[in-house]
Amino acid sequence: MAASGCRGVRSILWKYGSCGKNFCVSRSKTVPQLPVRQICVSSSLWKKNLAAAGPQKFTQEFIDKQVEEFEVGKRHLANMMGEDPETFTQEDIDRSIAYLFPSGLFEKRARPVMKHPDEIFPKQTAIQWDAEGRPFHFLFYTGRQSYYSLLHDVYEKILAIERHQDKMRNKGLFTSETKQILLTGSRWLLKEEIEEYLVENISDHDYVRLIQLMEKLLSMPYCSLEEEFILKFRKQLEAQSSKHEIPALQYDPQGVAFSVADGRRKTAKASITLRDSGSGNITINGRNYLHCFPLLQDREQLMFPLHFAGALRLAISRALLSFVSEGEVERIRQAGLLTADPRIRERKKPGQEGARKKFTWKKR
Amino acid sequence: MAASVRHLLKPWTPSLCLMRWSRYNPYYLDPDPSKDARVPESELSPEEKELQELKTVSPIKAALSSDTSSAFNDPLISKFINMMMHDGNKILARGIMTQTLETIKRKQVEKYHKSPAAKREEIECNPYTVFHQALENCKPIIGLASVQKGGKSYQVPVPLTDNRRRFLAMKWLITECRDNKHRRTHMYEKLSQELLAAFTNEGNVVKRKHDLHKMAEANRAYAHYRWW
Repeated sequence: MAASGCRGVRSILWKYGSCGKNFCVSRSKTVPQLPVRQICVSSSLWKKNLAAAGPQKFTQEFIDKQVEEFEVGKRHLANMMGEDPETFTQEDIDRSIAYLFPSGLFEKRARPVMKHPDEIFPKQTAIQWDAEGRPFHFLFYTGRQSYYSLLHDVYEKILAIERHQDKMRNKGLFTSETKQILLTGSRWLLKEEIEEYLVENISDHDYVRLIQLMEKLLSMPYCSLEEEFILKFRKQLEAQSSKHEIPALQYDPQGVAFSVADGRRKTAKASITLRDSGSGNITINGRNYLHCFPLLQDREQLMFPLHFAGALRLAISRALLSFVSEGEVERIRQAGLLTADPRIRERKKPGQEGARKKFTWKKR
Repeated sequence: MAASVRHLLKPWTPSLCLMRWSRYNPYYLDPDPSKDARVPESELSPEEKELQELKTVSPIKAALSSDTSSAFNDPLISKFINMMMHDGNKILARGIMTQTLETIKRKQVEKYHKSPAAKREEIECNPYTVFHQALENCKPIIGLASVQKGGKSYQVPVPLTDNRRRFLAMKWLITECRDNKHRRTHMYEKLSQELLAAFTNEGNVVKRKHDLHKMAEANRAYAHYRWW
């Protein structure tokens, strides 16, 4: 009985449900106390607003507001810590945040952070199509408009240089000895840096193609016309010898100078004190080095500026930097003594016997 | 900027796992362990100057544990030791090499003292020069490559690169010493005999080189089958 009654009510509701657009409006007028659930939706809401749903998630005003808030917040933080707001650097900010919000989380990226909005919000491209949905750039439908337009620009420049060459040849002024662009001490921008410049993702193959095209541009005799453009894609390298930390020279109570340094190779660690006494004795863990390194080859390595000899050699070279002049530092660096050897044991892969050795190949 | 450069200097694992890859970024240069005084600026060619400048701005790979700046370190000898080595037993290979050089020296000094005064100047006692000269005498000038044409494979004479020639000379020496010796002779004895023979253009290794040259000469007609 009750079941049939319910079924009857449901059928009425279904009938009402299939009515049309303005159903919900009339229902709310007649029964205001009952909770209303929207069953159908008007067709005007079905059209998607394409211009609004673009790739731009953060507007320029939003980012400007964030920058303002960051600056104000930085000054408040400086006042809180009792330091001068004018000379409050990013390192000070990090230190203060770590002090005020100590976090025991292992994942460093999950800890509270306060950085300039430019570092937090990724660079966004502006909306690339107009209100009617027509894209602005002619290469929009390639999917990577900035990359392909860059390739186009470079090729245009190549053609322009060729036209210039022809003009010079016609006038009879063509020479191969033109001003060459200085390329030593700089390198091509990395793939990540190019991605940052273009605000687009590119693959390795694309990057290689771009570099090949730039090299082609460089190989032409009159490439100095486009020097500015090319240098935009090259980054200056600083002198590497300034990168190595020279350990401070300390003095014994007897007045003997000594320096302390560490070295590592694979899993071996070494920490040494190099003294200026000039006796030439080497002790390792209190024992004479002849006990530890009976092989001539290892001892040669010690004299060279040890498979632990590798760790020791690095530590000795680093300690030696404080006793030696600038030119010698460069020589030591160029002999390969200051680079920590990054080679480690290669991991064993699944489906193989070892790192490289495969299982016996069976045809069937 | 600092972050990207740090990324460049870190040990590098390529995104695609290739078969031959190294833990160093491609920008790292090879180390130069020599202790000699630098050639003054004026005597360098522009290319060498460029190379020097490049060295000041690029990171350098770590030096190998087999290279030292001492006068006794010879890259050719190190290469030969590596080729002789079995299962990573460098100690044994190096020991054999030192014994070989010692035996060569002893034999040459004996010969020196036994010969009359007139002939003494021609005898070379330095084992390193003996080794270098012997290796030079073993290097083939031209090699043979197998090229398939029309269903048949022909042996085509082909020029060899320096590295390939050096490798073949060393390989022939080592195989010769391992295979064609009496069970009771030691490796270093046999090696020293072969090296001294090669020094005077005699012996099996030099014979093998001459055979290769003769084959190349005989197959001269097929030289145009080479397309590279």
